[in-house]
Amino acid sequence: MILNTDGTKPIYVQIAEWLETEILQGKFKSGDKIYSQYQLADLLNINPATAAKGLTILADEQILFKKRGLGMFVADSAKDLIRHRRINQTLKKLVEEIVEEAAHLGVKEAELFSMITEAQKNRKEEE
Amino acid sequence: MNVIESSNLVKSFGQKAVLTDLSFSIKENTITGIIGRNGAGKTTLLKILAGFIHKNSGEVKVFGDQPFNSLLVSANSIYIDEYIFYPQSMTLEDILKQNKRFYKKWDDTLAYRLFNYFSFDPNQLHSSLSKGQKNTFNAIVGLSSRCSLTMFDEPTTGMDASVRKDFYRALLKDYLAYPRTILLSSHHLDEIDDLLEEVLLIKDGQKHLQLPVEELKEYAMSVQGFKEEVEQWTQNQQLIFRKEVSGNAAFAVIRNTFTKADKENARKLGLQFSKVNASDLCVYLTTPQEGGIDDVFK
Repeated sequence: MILNTDGTKPIYVQIAEWLETEILQGKFKSGDKIYSQYQLADLLNINPATAAKGLTILADEQILFKKRGLGMFVADSAKDLIRHRRINQTLKKLVEEIVEEAAHLGVKEAELFSMITEAQKNRKEEE
Repeated sequence: MNVIESSNLVKSFGQKAVLTDLSFSIKENTITGIIGRNGAGKTTLLKILAGFIHKNSGEVKVFGDQPFNSLLVSANSIYIDEYIFYPQSMTLEDILKQNKRFYKKWDDTLAYRLFNYFSFDPNQLHSSLSKGQKNTFNAIVGLSSRCSLTMFDEPTTGMDASVRKDFYRALLKDYLAYPRTILLSSHHLDEIDDLLEEVLLIKDGQKHLQLPVEELKEYAMSVQGFKEEVEQWTQNQQLIFRKEVSGNAAFAVIRNTFTKADKENARKLGLQFSKVNASDLCVYLTTPQEGGIDDVFK
C-alpha cells in the first residue's frame, strides 16, 4: 500500500480503507489476525499511534475485534458490514454526485443510464 | 506516565527573554516534534531538559527530577546536535567505545551496523568529518544510546536527502523495537510529521499548541477568493492568517470549526476551500500578523 501524503485524506482513514479492501478481496478472512499497529507502522513508515487509530476505526465498526494480549482479528460479519456500508454510504454518495453533475449538464436520465451501461461494458472487456 | 513536566518555565540570556512562560508535559514512549521558528526557544528548552543549562524560574521535571545537576537525568537522556564536542584526538571508534561505557542501554551491534552502513572509517577523527557526516555520526550515537529520553536537535542539518530518509527510517524502526521518549526538533515538519505522535509548537517562548499530528492536520482550512468576500466571510471565523494575494484576491487560514451552513455561504460567495498541511499550518500560526516578507519591499 502506498500512502497518499498530500493531506487530502487522513492517514488513519487510508489505513482503515486499505484494510477494508484487503478483507473484501479475501486477503484476510473471518477470524484471521490482522496487522498490529507496530507492523503497520513499520510497513507504512508512520507513527504507531496513527496506525492504531486506523485499527480503532475498524474496531468501532465491529469489523475487527480485540482479543486481549493477542491482537486484532477479523469479525465474522466483517465482509458484509464493509460491503453494506460502502453501498449505503460511498456508492450512494458517488451516485448522488453523478446525478447532480448530470443535472448541471442537462444530461437526461436515459443518456445517463446508457453511459453507465457503456462503462460497465468497458470494464467487462478489460477483465 | 509523564516523562517531562514543565510549568511556567522561564529562561533569559541577559536582557533577552527566550522562554517566557512554558508549560507542557510529554508522555512516556512517544515521539514528539518540537516545532517553532528560529529563535523560538527550542534549543534552549532541550538544553534545560538535558540538564545542560539552568532555568531562571518555574518548574521543570524530567523523570521526576530537576534535570540540572541530576545524575538520573544525565545517565538516562541524551541530547544530540551538530555542536557536540569531542576531544580532537579521539577517533570515531574511540567515541563509540566511550559512549558504550557511559550509557547502560547502549547497543553496540546497532551502532556498528549503522556505522558500516553509512560507510564511516573507525580511524577517522570526528573533527575531520563534514557537517552532514558529523550529524550522521552524532545521530548514530543518539540512536545507539537507547536512552529513555532521546533528544535530537535539528539532527538532519547537512545530511543529503537519502541519508535523512534512512535516518528517520532507522529512528522509527528502533523506536518500534525499543520504545522510548523521543523529542525531535526540526524546521522541516513535512519531513517528519508521519513519524510523530504529537507536535509541540513553541512561539515567543511559550507553548502555542500541543496536539496529536493527526489533529493538527485537520486543525485548519484555507479559503481563497475575492478580497471583500473573504473578509466578509472570515469575520465570524477564528482567523489564523490572512494575506492579500494580488490586487483584489485574498487568502485566509481559519480554524476548522465552521458549520455546514458557513461552508454553504462561502460557496455562494465564490470562496474556494483547501486543506492546510501541518507544516504550512505551523508557519501560518507563527507568522506575525503585521505583514510578511512582501511588506519589507513596500
